[in-house]
Amino acid sequence: MGDIITMTQIVKIFPPSLVALDQVSVNFREGEIHAIVGENGAGKSTLMKILYGMQPADSGEILIKGKPARFSDPGEAISSGIGMVHQEILLIPEYTIWQNVVLGIEPIKFPNHLDVKKAREFVRAKINEFHFNLDPDAKVADISVAARQKVEILKLLFRNVSVLIMDEPTSVLTPQEIPQLFTELKRLRDNGHTILFISHHLDEVLELSDRITVLRKGKWVGTLDAAKATKAGLAQMMVGREVIFESLRQPQEPGETVFEIEHLGYTDADKRMRLQEINLKVQAGEIVGIAGVEGNGQLELVNAIMGLVEPQTGCIRSSGVDITRLPILDKRRKVAFVSQDRANMGACIPAKITENVIMTHHRLGKRFTRAAGSVLDYRQAVAFTGEVRQMFDVQMTSGEAPFKSLSGGNQQKVILGRELMLEAPFILLDQPTRGLDVGSIEYVHRQIIAMRMNRRGMLLISADLEELFRLSDRLLVMHRGRIVANLRTEATNITEIGYLMLEGKAYEA
Amino acid sequence: MKIIIGLINGMLTSATPILLAALGGSVTYYAGIFNIAMEGMMLSGAFFAALGSYYYHSWVVGIFFAILGALAMALIFILFAVVLKMDEFITGIGLNLLSLGLTTYLVRQIDIPVTGIVPIPRIHFPGLEQVPVLGEILSGHNLVVYLTLFAVISIHYLVFKTRYGLRLRASGYNRTCLDTSGVSANRIRISSLLLCGILCGLAGAFLSLGVVEGFTQGMSAGKGWISLAAVILVSGSPVGIALISLIFGFTDGLGLFLQQDLPPQFTAMVPYIATLVALFVYSMRMKKKLIA
Amino acid sequence: MKRKVMINLIGILLAFILGAVVMLIQRKDPLLAYASLFEYSLGKKFVYTLNKSVPLVLTGLSATVAFASGPVNLGQPGQLLIGALFATIGGLYLKLPAVLMIPVLLLLAMIGGALWSGIAALCKHFFRMSEFITTLMLNMIADFFTLWAISYPLFEKDANHPQTPPISPTGWMPEWGNLSSSVLVMVLVFAIIGWVMNRTTAGYEWRISGQNSLFSRLGGVNVNKNYLVVMLLTGALAGLAGGLVLMAGPHRFIKDMGANYAWDGVMIAMVANSGVFLTLIFGLFFAVLQTGATGMQLTALVPRELIQVLQAVIVLIVVAGRGYFETLFARLEARRKMKGLAK
Repeated sequence: MGDIITMTQIVKIFPPSLVALDQVSVNFREGEIHAIVGENGAGKSTLMKILYGMQPADSGEILIKGKPARFSDPGEAISSGIGMVHQEILLIPEYTIWQNVVLGIEPIKFPNHLDVKKAREFVRAKINEFHFNLDPDAKVADISVAARQKVEILKLLFRNVSVLIMDEPTSVLTPQEIPQLFTELKRLRDNGHTILFISHHLDEVLELSDRITVLRKGKWVGTLDAAKATKAGLAQMMVGREVIFESLRQPQEPGETVFEIEHLGYTDADKRMRLQEINLKVQAGEIVGIAGVEGNGQLELVNAIMGLVEPQTGCIRSSGVDITRLPILDKRRKVAFVSQDRANMGACIPAKITENVIMTHHRLGKRFTRAAGSVLDYRQAVAFTGEVRQMFDVQMTSGEAPFKSLSGGNQQKVILGRELMLEAPFILLDQPTRGLDVGSIEYVHRQIIAMRMNRRGMLLISADLEELFRLSDRLLVMHRGRIVANLRTEATNITEIGYLMLEGKAYEA
Repeated sequence: MKIIIGLINGMLTSATPILLAALGGSVTYYAGIFNIAMEGMMLSGAFFAALGSYYYHSWVVGIFFAILGALAMALIFILFAVVLKMDEFITGIGLNLLSLGLTTYLVRQIDIPVTGIVPIPRIHFPGLEQVPVLGEILSGHNLVVYLTLFAVISIHYLVFKTRYGLRLRASGYNRTCLDTSGVSANRIRISSLLLCGILCGLAGAFLSLGVVEGFTQGMSAGKGWISLAAVILVSGSPVGIALISLIFGFTDGLGLFLQQDLPPQFTAMVPYIATLVALFVYSMRMKKKLIA
Repeated sequence: MKRKVMINLIGILLAFILGAVVMLIQRKDPLLAYASLFEYSLGKKFVYTLNKSVPLVLTGLSATVAFASGPVNLGQPGQLLIGALFATIGGLYLKLPAVLMIPVLLLLAMIGGALWSGIAALCKHFFRMSEFITTLMLNMIADFFTLWAISYPLFEKDANHPQTPPISPTGWMPEWGNLSSSVLVMVLVFAIIGWVMNRTTAGYEWRISGQNSLFSRLGGVNVNKNYLVVMLLTGALAGLAGGLVLMAGPHRFIKDMGANYAWDGVMIAMVANSGVFLTLIFGLFFAVLQTGATGMQLTALVPRELIQVLQAVIVLIVVAGRGYFETLFARLEARRKMKGLAK
């Protein structure tokens, strides 16, 4: 089993000055499962995208089976037997499975007529060959996320690839779905395929891979056998220093109720019931975490709380005041909001940093306006930006710079700063650390704990179970629009929560 | 009875340019392009049709020139919106204004007397013509009207039954997915714009060589915008577009009919008011879905 | 900052070169043509250039404010006409001294424009009808409606073309030499709009809503109310342009009075990329081109319609160039960085 792919001295710079890869060299052996780990921004995705032809390298060499190769688009990579399954599932939800799989190599009858019968037969044959449990006529929009991932893999196997690159494959799966994926990947490896996979989940990496390569800030740190690696060792290679894994919380008595939801129900425009009988309470100095597979009502819950949709039943109260149907500005007096969608909900990317910081404050804080609130006092806005910069340790050139010039971590710090400075008694946090590097994640967690000490109440929605367990006092689980569990964090564990997330009820032995 | 036949025939005639342009718009719509340049392409087609017909004494050449003229506009759109990745909306508006300016400038420079223009002929089916009522409706229309019927069927087949159509719609749904499947979404988008150019060119030829003879500045008069409204209202479907275009065409003919009783300016407004009404109906249906 | 100016200038230069090519094909002298263009519009006819810039800048501001704030108001042509119509009606039937007449007529013009854009705004507010299509359709409807109005009820008896009688002389914008006072109005409006967009709470909310309306909504901004206000304001601006065209120009409503002003205004807004100051600059620049077109035709025998083509080309090239050059400059900087790395 020799080297099937060799990448030497790869350099990639994103204009104008972001060095994504700094002379990285790695070898991949045929028939192995090779993991590439590193924190967000380390360059793992970029390296694989270059291999796959989605991005050109600025310099460096790639050898496939000993012969130099440079793909200018994924099509060429696929023809050479290399395929990539992306993190965001790249399928067409409106199409069926067979349509998605044959797209690009469709069988036709002269002159251009799509041969539907043959296409379905071919796809069905491939499904059976690899024992995937899929119906070729099912619409992709209607199948589960794990199934969609299988379709992506099927699409590549249909084109006879021998090397599969997988980008964070477990990020879209529940804990219960992961073992099945691992079984399938191991079966493919035993069949002679090579699997390269990108991850930052060290437990999974240790369980699945044969060898592991670590990248940090665009540089290669090391490649080692999985058998010889440890979680702590890998983490240290990834971050460059020791990383702490345990909880940060001090025991604390919660105070009066700052936020509650009673009997909340919401049916959307397609007559689907998205939220059913939601009841929850958050007390001062308490962090309530919500776990759940994406798509089980979390988005609707956030939208209902913030006022983007109107629930049909139930009420939402903050500090005793019914805020269910209030205009959003009035809600914001009581609710601070860190959304999961930085680009569309949390900030205005093309605007200046200062303009981002004073949003909402410009109406709620008297210091920012004159003449009965109609004229902006820009000097105050600039001063406030300076205050946020200092208190939240934001790396930026000046408040006049566009928001998009900030790195992901600094953007989140600015958003956090703006929301926390609203001094609302209740904070809604939706995936607050998604896409951030380990350093920024630690910072955000520390701020959240500080707010807890400050006696504010928080609702934390997150897909990262480790994060939920580190921060929350209590854990709720959402399943099909209902809350199916309400447990003290100390009284449960990841496996139990994972089962609840998937099945909606507790495991019965 | 004669009135009804007249109205129906008028409806088919008025609907034709709108329908052709809208078919072009629907192809680009499926490809995922925000294309508002049908007006400019149609206008360019109308001018070059008159030019070609006059100089070569042939309506065939006229149609050919019309398609070339519209394709030239389509190529400019491709240059700016696809190659240079400029915002499609701005490109469309700029293109419409460029087409207006260019054709106005050229028509003042180049004289195209109406008498020298060879119009596109009407087609009569001798056997069919004898049939009462139906015969008068089905036979005797301009060639382009029959071509348009053919176009509706062809485009429907193209979009829903061919390999190209599968890729075309994929480009609109998720162009990154199409790219990673090994098909260049850019090439599909370019081809859709070229096809739109051909259809709009034909529409323009019908304007200056069919409905009336000769080119007057700005003669597309908002028909391109109506065809855009048609595409948006039915979300692209060719058959739906055909139906909507017939309705718009009907209101246009109705306007002419009412001219005996109302001042001509009001009757000219009818198709635009009709578009607003159609948009109203559509928006109310969408709204009901959201509330319910 | 400097880079942005460079990009705009390169775009304009390229457009002029293209225009020169067209002229050469027609066997005309491009250098003479351009020279006479600028000489005419910036020289002895500079005052006319300023006068001509008024409707261009005002409709440009209307489009700029709309595009920057979110609503897609493409109805300036119609709003201009209805504004002019309202001012005409006032000018024909009201008898007031000049010091009252002029502000009243201007107000009527703004009301007319706001009414017309208000129709589209209400359709969006109550029925969710896309203002993109409604404003466009209303353009055509306004065109026909005003034509009817000046052909029948307001028609000047025994005239050879559709037109109204002249409005009362107290409604004519005063002139100082050849300079029309409408230029003063334009400068005033420009200053007000600039102040509103950059220094008021409302302007801040509009701009942020225009860039990201969901973010503004979540931030507590009343996006719906702002939408209505912006539509009415931009309609009023276009209407004001119409009123000034009437009162500083022919003093009666004639056919094609709106000419291409409003669509030119939309083009100006696009080139100005939502910048109030740039709108003024490009408005003046387009006025230079349009006035100079006459000089170009007189001296170099190049037909004045070429200016329309030149304007469209400028818009396409400057906007495209903006995106292209920004990417180019960024890529050059990246290459510089890489050379530093290799060392």
